[in-house]
Amino acid sequence: MTPAWKRRLAFTRMGRWYTGLTVAIGLAATNTGNNLLFLVLGLLLSSIIVSGILSEQSLKGVSVERRLPSVATAGQPALVGLLARNGKPHAPSFSLEVREARGDVAGHGFLVVLPAQRAAEVAYRFVPQRRGLHRFRQIELATRAPFGFFEKSRPMDAEAELVVFPREVAPAAVEARAPGREGDRPEDRAGIGLEVHLLRDHRAGEDARSIHWRSSARAGRLIGIDREQERRKRVCVVLDQRGLRGEPLDRAVEQAAALVVREIDSGAEVSLALAGQSLAAGAGDGQRHAALRMLALVEPCGGEEAAPVPEAQASILEVPA
Amino acid sequence: MTLRTPTLLQAQRWAGTAAATLAFVSCAVSGELGPAMLLLFPLGLIISAIGGDELRGRWQWAWSTLLGGALLVFAGQVLFAHVDIVLAAAWFVELLCIHRLWQRGTERDELLLLLLSLLLLCAGAALAAELTFGFAFLGFAVTGTWALALTHLRFAIEAGRGESGSAALLNSRRIATPALLGGLALLSSLAIAGAALVFFTFPRVTIGGWRRASRPSPVAGLGDRVDLAEHGTIEDDPRVVLRVRLDPPPHGDPETLGMHWRARALSHWTGQGWRSDGSGIIPSHRLPTRTHRGRPASLLTADVEVVGAFSDGVVLTPQGWPLNVEFRRPGSTRAGAQRLYRNASGDLFYQPVDGNDLRYIVVVDREEPDLAAIRGRERRYPPWLAPDLEVPEALSPRVRALAQRLGGGKDPADAAVAIEHWLATALRYTRELPERESRDPIADFLFVRRAGHCELFSSAMVVMLRSLGIPARNVTGYFGGRRTDAGYYVVRAGDAHSWVEAWFPEVGFVRFDPTPASARGSRQEGLWARAVLLWDGLQQRWRTFVVDYDLLSQAQAIRRLAQIAGQAGRRLAGTGGAGRLRGGAAWLAAALAVAGLLAGLRRLRLRAGSGRGTALSPDQRRALRLWRTARGRLRRAGVQIAPAATAGEVARRFPAVREAADAYAAARWGGAALTSRDARATLRRLEDALEHRVAPDAPP
Repeated sequence: MTPAWKRRLAFTRMGRWYTGLTVAIGLAATNTGNNLLFLVLGLLLSSIIVSGILSEQSLKGVSVERRLPSVATAGQPALVGLLARNGKPHAPSFSLEVREARGDVAGHGFLVVLPAQRAAEVAYRFVPQRRGLHRFRQIELATRAPFGFFEKSRPMDAEAELVVFPREVAPAAVEARAPGREGDRPEDRAGIGLEVHLLRDHRAGEDARSIHWRSSARAGRLIGIDREQERRKRVCVVLDQRGLRGEPLDRAVEQAAALVVREIDSGAEVSLALAGQSLAAGAGDGQRHAALRMLALVEPCGGEEAAPVPEAQASILEVPA
Repeated sequence: MTLRTPTLLQAQRWAGTAAATLAFVSCAVSGELGPAMLLLFPLGLIISAIGGDELRGRWQWAWSTLLGGALLVFAGQVLFAHVDIVLAAAWFVELLCIHRLWQRGTERDELLLLLLSLLLLCAGAALAAELTFGFAFLGFAVTGTWALALTHLRFAIEAGRGESGSAALLNSRRIATPALLGGLALLSSLAIAGAALVFFTFPRVTIGGWRRASRPSPVAGLGDRVDLAEHGTIEDDPRVVLRVRLDPPPHGDPETLGMHWRARALSHWTGQGWRSDGSGIIPSHRLPTRTHRGRPASLLTADVEVVGAFSDGVVLTPQGWPLNVEFRRPGSTRAGAQRLYRNASGDLFYQPVDGNDLRYIVVVDREEPDLAAIRGRERRYPPWLAPDLEVPEALSPRVRALAQRLGGGKDPADAAVAIEHWLATALRYTRELPERESRDPIADFLFVRRAGHCELFSSAMVVMLRSLGIPARNVTGYFGGRRTDAGYYVVRAGDAHSWVEAWFPEVGFVRFDPTPASARGSRQEGLWARAVLLWDGLQQRWRTFVVDYDLLSQAQAIRRLAQIAGQAGRRLAGTGGAGRLRGGAAWLAAALAVAGLLAGLRRLRLRAGSGRGTALSPDQRRALRLWRTARGRLRRAGVQIAPAATAGEVARRFPAVREAADAYAAARWGGAALTSRDARATLRRLEDALEHRVAPDAPP
């Protein structure tokens, strides 16, 4: 854990010149004994001290909170928000740079002034270049105020993780294995569908639309109808990543992601079968998020990993290696 | 008309320009830059103000040629024409500053301008030691702070928001507000206070490798020539030439000193005035002893500070017989670099003359021979007095006749007194003379105008004494001295005066002053004269506390501080008279100090506890105490609680503590209020419950 008092100090170019000049004037004053040079030296030294005090005052009492996007996709810009809050009762903070430090992501925002007891948000644009986990470690609050001689920064622990989904690509034309299973199929239970599940006596209070008129006419009493619960098209995207590394693995993952997205968008229930792991079938945004997250985190593995086990009863879309 | 708040861009540029201008002023006040360089900077400034951004990037080839050429010329002047290297550096930095004023746009340009201004200020520190430098320095401290802060802000905005995104902020009038500029000025005052602290505490151990001497300045009033034919109105000049402290101080601490300050004797009549004998000067390790002592010596020590521009290498001595001259500051054991010299007339000089202010201590025997002591002396004079017996060839017979009438047949002493008395009473003093040249200024003064200034009075007496065969000479110097609030007397340029010395065997030269007593010295007491005195007081303090501050002064200041601290300590300890009262004050101070320390520690502890430096509210602190106490009570009752167990977890295991846990959670995290009374009641109920509790089956 980074202690609250920890600071980093770095010279700016102006600071290097200024310090060099101060040393030179100090030498000249000592050599000549010229008191006016001592006076100038005093001004330069005290300006450095005042600069240090004020920069500390700018950093003190400011807290920063990171706001990550809910979804980020490789190759597409995402906005990361940095909410800075000045908790000091009276003193404003000037010239604050809020930036990421020690993490996988570089980004920064700049605040000219942050009044006392106020909060302000800055955001930086970040285009992830790869899928997978992106770790955020620290936020650094830095200032060069008031004179720009030094950059004083205060590191703050702010660990967070962002899973970046695989890059969006066009899905490859993959032939489905077990094509006969394609289409909506009855589930042999009552539900909402078009096919008839069973006929039974009509119950008082039931919707008149559930009456099977022909059977009622034939039986001489009101016969109701239960419809068959229909199951959606079920697809299993299979990716055998064993032996794949680097670029080929990423390409395969991107293809798998493209197939998952296409199938979910077409209303199918999609399951995912990878070497050593799988995702049960599901549909909708939740399933899309879960599948893309799983694909984002796919790691290379060797042959010892179990081969993907495709879901029975589902059309199988196997991603070419 | 109302002043509009400047935009950030305008304020930043103005501040940079003001800092550069004040740095130039700090150099210019030394008076050593020369007229060309003195005019060049304002000219460059005006052109840069008119041209603005249009000048940027133009005539680069011309600038490069000019700067390269200037560098070569200045280097040549330093090497071959013995121009001071600091002066040459100041000239070059001034040119670089003007160049940068014309080429402003990037952050680098602005920062370079500020660094060059700083160099110019340093050059000013080396060239000038005047109070005006002090004012320029203060101005630079303020404008430099503005310039640095606004430059940083401007380019931080540009870097943070890009060129297009920053335009609105840079042109906003809501940033460089009077409040911001005032805050920055306050900041600069902190820096100035820090500078003063560093200045007074930085050890004054100097290597003394190379020190620049100021250029000597020619001086009017103390020259080796007086021309009586130059008529017109003599203006009173209130500028200070001497600062004097007398030991013993004059009786009654008078407002004005009636004292002659002797500079030099002029023996040779030129036909229109006087000049010195032109003999060279020789080192004078010891001053001549007094030949005649009428009465016991009455010593007077004068601590004389000669303002540099007025010294011209002449040692001014108070009236009396000079016994000793030492070039050192009072209290200092270190002798100055100057050495004492004399000429054939007995005038005192010092070498080297470097144009800086000089401080020396003169001891004189102020007892002067009275009339009885000089009366009845022989009229045989040694040959070396021949120049003081020369009577002007063209002297008007009327002057001789007048001298004869006043002193003929009398003892030389009586004759001198008679002539002195006649001149002082029969003629009138005036500073306004006709704008025409007189062929015989003394006869004109004595018989035509019958009015004149001190040089005419003294010249008339000298020639009249010489016409009677009495050796005499004209002496120049100052008369008077005005007391200041700073505790010393000042002698001003307007106090310039002229009088007579007549020689008597076995006694030497004796002073006579034929100018009417009421007309001697300066009569300036107007607003301007008072302002000059005020300025001189500031100047003197500047010189004492800043320019002449050295290791000795530093040691004295530290001793004085230690003394004050010691006195304060003794007073607080109650040793001495009002012991009980002082003892009480000491206890009060100690109690306040302890309370302050405890408050500081508590603040630190609260900060450490909160982890982010944000203090807890009183309700949150009470909640924390409540929960800690509740856990303690549980432990005392034999309940084992895991260290990381939350209040909710503990409450689920032990319902008896539910109320305390809820109250804690609500106040600590939920922002609910928790009074001390409620907390105590909750704890009481917990204790009751614990007394009747069923032993827990397992620790949480």
